[in-house]
Amino acid sequence: MTRPAQGRRILRGAAALPALAWLALSSLGLTLAGCSPKRTPLPPDVLIVSQEQQASWVRNFNPLTPATAARWPTLAGVYEPLFVYNSVQAKQVPWLGTSFEWREGARVLHVTTRSGVKWSDGQPFSARDVAFTFNLIQRFRALDKRGTWAFLESVRALDDHTVEFRFQRVYVPGFDELVAVQIVPEHVWSKVEDPVRFPNEHPVATGPFTEVKVFRNQVYELGRNPYYWQEGVPKVSALRFPAYPSNDRANLALVYDEVDWAGNFLPAIDRVYVGRAPGKHAYWFPLTAGSIFLYANTTRAPFSDVRVRKALSMAIDRPLLVDVALHRYSRPADATGLSDAYAALRDSTAMAAGDWVRHDLAAAKAQLDAAGYTVGADGFRHLPDGKPWKYEVLVVSGWSDWVRAAQVIVRGLREAGVDASVRTYDFSAWFQRVQEGDFDLSLGWSFEGPAPYHAYRYLMSSTTMKPVGTASLGNWHRYSSKTADQLLAEFERATEPAVQRALGDSLQRLFVAEAPAIPLYPNPSWAEYHAGRFTGFPSKEDPYADPSPNKFDRGEPLLVLTRLAPRKEAP
Amino acid sequence: MNHLLKRLFFYAGAAWTALTLNFFLPRLMPGDPATALFARFAGRLTPEGLQALREAFGLTDAPLWKQYFTYLAHVLRGDLGVSIAYFPAPVTQVIGTGLAWTLFLAGTGVVLSFIIGSLLGVVAAWWRRGWVDQWLPSFFAFLGAFPYFWLAMVALWIFGFTLGWFPLGHAYADDMAPGFTFAFVADVFRHAALPLLTVVLATLGGWLLTMRNAMVAVLGSDFVNLARAKGLPPRTVMLRYAARNALLPSITGFGMALGYVLGGSLLTEVVFSYPGQGYLLVQAVRNQDYPLMQGIFVFITLAVLAANWLVDVLTWWLDARTRESAS
Repeated sequence: MTRPAQGRRILRGAAALPALAWLALSSLGLTLAGCSPKRTPLPPDVLIVSQEQQASWVRNFNPLTPATAARWPTLAGVYEPLFVYNSVQAKQVPWLGTSFEWREGARVLHVTTRSGVKWSDGQPFSARDVAFTFNLIQRFRALDKRGTWAFLESVRALDDHTVEFRFQRVYVPGFDELVAVQIVPEHVWSKVEDPVRFPNEHPVATGPFTEVKVFRNQVYELGRNPYYWQEGVPKVSALRFPAYPSNDRANLALVYDEVDWAGNFLPAIDRVYVGRAPGKHAYWFPLTAGSIFLYANTTRAPFSDVRVRKALSMAIDRPLLVDVALHRYSRPADATGLSDAYAALRDSTAMAAGDWVRHDLAAAKAQLDAAGYTVGADGFRHLPDGKPWKYEVLVVSGWSDWVRAAQVIVRGLREAGVDASVRTYDFSAWFQRVQEGDFDLSLGWSFEGPAPYHAYRYLMSSTTMKPVGTASLGNWHRYSSKTADQLLAEFERATEPAVQRALGDSLQRLFVAEAPAIPLYPNPSWAEYHAGRFTGFPSKEDPYADPSPNKFDRGEPLLVLTRLAPRKEAP
Repeated sequence: MNHLLKRLFFYAGAAWTALTLNFFLPRLMPGDPATALFARFAGRLTPEGLQALREAFGLTDAPLWKQYFTYLAHVLRGDLGVSIAYFPAPVTQVIGTGLAWTLFLAGTGVVLSFIIGSLLGVVAAWWRRGWVDQWLPSFFAFLGAFPYFWLAMVALWIFGFTLGWFPLGHAYADDMAPGFTFAFVADVFRHAALPLLTVVLATLGGWLLTMRNAMVAVLGSDFVNLARAKGLPPRTVMLRYAARNALLPSITGFGMALGYVLGGSLLTEVVFSYPGQGYLLVQAVRNQDYPLMQGIFVFITLAVLAANWLVDVLTWWLDARTRESAS
């Protein structure tokens, strides 16, 4: 009887000790928390950015590795491309490259590189680094994010300032992809064995911020490049990135002045964000982030009929849709389907002809009646073989803006005599269906690049069209037209801006005439910023670039990062 | 000892079953990891990028059974593969970033909640119809009935955002260098206080009720009456006689809860942006990051099994009856 009694005593002691220790420590924590309510002031010249949403950071500054793996500034802050695309002004800005020239009937492209640029370790940058980067991508195809070697034949440096890109065929739009590739230093990367899996923890780069000052799982900080090629730039001494796991959490930090620059969706922003510090908290949402479409599967009746596509479009109340789904952050799309990234390139003739994006239920009904799809006894229209028009509009579950948009669409379609309903799928399931063409109607995004060529290639070219059942990366509605193919082919050979412009206009007119897909609204490019702490953010008054950190794909945040400056005194 | 060995075999079997399920379940989902990554970029990634992603991840077309055996062999060697969402970091490294914080936050939460809850349960049962017994169980049941997510958000809003008593998130201040300094440790507790408070408040009720009910049953049994009749001090009867026996069902629950600690208190970590394990798991599922998902599940499975085995040992030690029946 004595042994168990002892055991009992030991057990009690053992259990009580850590328990007491924890209790004491935790209450200490609570008291400490209670007596220090004031917050440490933010460093005045450190820009705090929230773009990626992750619970903890993994150190990776490899600009060539597939998207999402590298930390945000890697593509537009640490490393730099040859040209930066300014999507608000629709122009390529010379960056590491200063000029370019097409030769041999546009089979060869010469790019002149900037002189006086140094890597962050002090070594000079030259055209040889550019040639090295492209040849590295050729050897490791997993790095070819832009598919450049689908049209490239060879890349070499003619001298320290000239790179020669030789094309397999004439493909002028390929320029936009080539110049957006981040350039890495030959003297570092030639020693890297597997550049696909290289985490590049100590980046040597040409960008304004290259020094990793702090890297911890919940925050990291990048300091200035001592050799940056722009005089007196950057004026911000460091970038800091706190890790926030969710949109809600990042928004809270933004509202609470813990973040200076973010690219989040924020509902009721005027009240929630601007209202908290008028004149300091600011935002600008240019409509440059692609367009959202209602795709109709044109391989299926009745969507193969252009009259039906246009009538369905007229049945949609877009102003209501934009109100309900997007808090009025966007506007109804025009019939060209282009976002404001092409504002300067919009064709007025095409715009005027595109009356089928206006909400006109009577006209929609009349057009469907005239096309022979009459309303039956059940109140819905029918196919010639008697099948009723019963269709689902596919959306991704959890993408609440899409779901709300689809609800507005369905309401309009039902009024026009379509037995339509919303169907939500998990992303992967939805993506598989649209890619394989296994749908009637679905919401979807569009692809946009610097020229209208990029947008329309995925909307109406036979080169992007795959048969139903085969996964297609774009052109999910499976539409192609001979005229479009011809115009796009001409575009691929056009080096003159004026010719490109004319071809872009023709493409727009063709799209408006054929309505291959039904445009809904251009997507806003989200950007919120603390103008009280920093000056130089793009705004409606000073629209020098896209304000969103999300537009890193073609290096655009570089334009902003090199312009920002800490505000000296309170405004 | 034989009994414990037998249990050990049982756990080995359970581990194998879990590992197998762990391999097959994620692969039943439609789509592949490259597609899922694409989702986060809805249109901002060129279609060419998708091809490059597939290539980089080396998504293999080998038959499933072959992949299964490679997977088992790798797990035995401790090689959990390369994460896809955090490509090209190895899974073990990704898990390592959050493991310590999760163990600290969720572990402390479970232990605190268990100790406080059980003590209150003892008190409630001993002084029946006292104020503890009358008010606390219903109060904590009421708190526990709220969705935890909501409770945490409200706490964050009131105490963090509006009153500014607590930091809004993270495990320590961004400008604080980690180290064993008083300032750092104090800062860690300052940041852990609000998440801990919400976790403890939300889960306390369960422990309290279990303990109270078990205690009430035990208090009515003969050996407690005997102890009282012998004239033992009330405190001894309460703690050594009644509470010790009433603790048994709670211990089992405690073991389970400890095992789940590794899964991370997912919602806590998301709401308070605490750099732990739970959010990693969400991220992994969202990105169909099979290697990371499997890695985290392996950890959780092993932790749950280990905790259960510990509970077995503890029960065997605490409760003479289990030893009797085994021999």
